[in-house]
This record gives sequence, structure tokens and C-alpha cells, in this order.
Amino acid sequence: MNADDWLRTLTVELHHRRVAADAARHVVAEAATHLREGGGDPWVVFGPPQQYAGAVVESIGTAPGPRPGPVRLHAEGITKRYGRRTVLRDATLTVRAGQIAAVVGANGCGKSTFLRICAGLMSPDAGSVTVSGRLGYCPQAGGTADFLFADEHFVLIGAGQGVTRGAARRAGRGAARQLGWEAGGEVQARHLSGGTRQKLNLTMSTLNTPDVLLLDEPYQGFDQGTYVNFWDQLSRLRDTGTAIVVVTHLLNQLDRVDLVLDLTPAQVARGHAPVPQGGHR
Amino acid sequence: MDSDRRGQWLRGVLDICVLALLADRESYGYQLAQALDAAGVGPIQGGTLYPVLLRLQKTGLVCAQWREGNAGPARKYYRLTDDGYAALRTGGNAWLTFVQPVNDIVTKGVTR
Repeated sequence: MNADDWLRTLTVELHHRRVAADAARHVVAEAATHLREGGGDPWVVFGPPQQYAGAVVESIGTAPGPRPGPVRLHAEGITKRYGRRTVLRDATLTVRAGQIAAVVGANGCGKSTFLRICAGLMSPDAGSVTVSGRLGYCPQAGGTADFLFADEHFVLIGAGQGVTRGAARRAGRGAARQLGWEAGGEVQARHLSGGTRQKLNLTMSTLNTPDVLLLDEPYQGFDQGTYVNFWDQLSRLRDTGTAIVVVTHLLNQLDRVDLVLDLTPAQVARGHAPVPQGGHR
Repeated sequence: MDSDRRGQWLRGVLDICVLALLADRESYGYQLAQALDAAGVGPIQGGTLYPVLLRLQKTGLVCAQWREGNAGPARKYYRLTDDGYAALRTGGNAWLTFVQPVNDIVTKGVTR
């Protein structure tokens, strides 16, 4: 990681820790100046960017986050059985506008099932889901059309909302750029890499500016940079009032979310406060 | 010297050292680090120094301003405020009061 990468990571870390944008800009600029004058490896001079961001927060604190808004998603007492196997038992989650909820748990504990039920793609055996506003859903895989270009996907989504072709293309390309992807090329979806196809999937799920965004491990195949962009993008959407539910098995991201629903059996499946993970990767 | 112990000492007194250096003249982070090193305190890493400067700024003991240097990049210059001078007097005297008997005890011990 060179100095520019280090500074970029620091910027993201400060943003995630909700350091006021102005203050964060000054901190990064000052570190850049210091490195330019003194040289040296930023990892030695300042330490890991996560750790330095933590020290900055201790010194100057954070901007008050936007207060969570009205309840956008309420899933209560969700139970689901496949044959005699109960995959979900009485799972409950409430997400407000401006919050990110992580759904975690071991493989096969029903994370995707829970999300599909929230999305209305599947019926629970017991319980109910209330969604207030528009819904966006990004599946783990699939959801793209093999023989269409990315642009054509955007136009298709736009058509469903009465958006003109040009505007839909522009919106799609703009959203893709947030993930560091230039989507304008004439490549059919089936020829895109797995990671890029997921960027397309993710981009489509945000195009209708959803009030509730459900993401089922959408980052499979993402490289490190895209992964950083992804969490950055989630923070931005949260700050504009989107209620986000993201399925993840990467516990080291839990310090960036507001709520955690752990579906691992043997635990009571109920939202609890996120566990800070100390900024390790 | 045991670098861990030196780190602990520094944590207790670095803010006072910075205030004292800034009482002389305004300065920026890199220059302060060099001045501390030249004075014999040893190398101070940016990761240690800037959080201290940020805290001093937040508590109003120093104020800061970005300015272009004669040559080179824009730098964030720090200057003591009136509160900073007062804090330096109080904190500096407290340090001297503390360190003098410590020096006496240690000196007696090691020169025995």
C-alpha cells in the first residue's frame, strides 16, 4: 500500500467513523503534507489507517449522525420451515430510515431466506413483514440478463418507472461509477466477470432510489478497492435516509453498521448492539 | 532506552512540550516533530503528534490556519491562544513541580 492508498483508506475510515467532512479533509491534508515533507512509510509514521482514524476520533470526536428516521422495515416473528427443518424461528428486525442493519450467522442459518421473505419473494410460515416505501433487492447472484449490455439493464429498470432511455442510462452509469465501474461498454452481461456482474446487480437495486434496500452478500468477487467503494456507497445511502439490510458473514464490518441480527441458532434471534471489531481486516 | 516507557512519559507531557514550542513562534506539525527531535526528546511520529495537536485545537488552546509556505506545500500552522498561554503556565509549572523531586530522588539513587 503506497502513501496515496494509505491516504485514501484513511479518508474512507474517517468517513465511516462519521468524522465531520470538513475536519476529515483537514486531517487527511495534514497527513499528506507531513508525508510529503518527511517521507517515510505512512504505516510507520502514522500507523495503520484504521488505528489513526480511531486516534483522530478520540481527539476530535464525530459529527452527530443523522438521527434515525421513521421505521421503514419491520419484520416480526418470522418463522420458516423447509420440511421438518426449521431455518428461521421467531426472527425479528426493525430498521429505520438512515440505519444499516447487518444480518449475520453461520452458513445455512437462513440469512438469504430471511432477506427473501423481507423482499416478499417468499412467504413465512409465521410472522409478518411491513415495508414502508420503495423496495430495492440485490440477490447473491443472478438477476442480470445474459444477452443484454449494462446500459440495456438500466433502460429496462428505468422503463419500469417511466424514466426515458437516456436518463436511465445516465443514472445507471453514475451509480456504477460510485463503485468504481465504467458501465458504458458494449459487453453482454454473460461476458462480464463475476465481480462486475455483481456491480451491475447492485447498481440496479439502487436505481429506483429505494427507501428500503435489501442486499444479499452482494460483494462476492469484488476486489479490495471495490469492496471499500461498496461500504462507502452504503454509508452515503444511509446518510440520505435509506434503510439498509445487508447479509454478511464478514464480522469485521460490524463496526460500520447500526444494528445486527444474528440468526445463528442457539442464540435468541433478536437485534442487539453492534460489536466493535477494533478495525482489523 | 525502553521505548515503551519513553512512550508513556511522552503521553503525559507531549502536549505541554508542544505548547512550550508554540509559545516561541507559530509552527506546523512536521517542524514541531523536528524541533522535538533536535531538542533530544527523540523522534515523534505523526501518528502521535497530530492527535495531540487536534486535541489542543479542539479545546481552544491553539488555533490553526492553512498557509502556503515560501516554497513547498500549504501547511497547517498552529499558534497559541490566550487560553493556550494560560494552560502552558499552569501545566508547565505543574510538570516542573512534579519532575524536580523525581529528579532529586533518582539522582540520589543513581549517583550513590
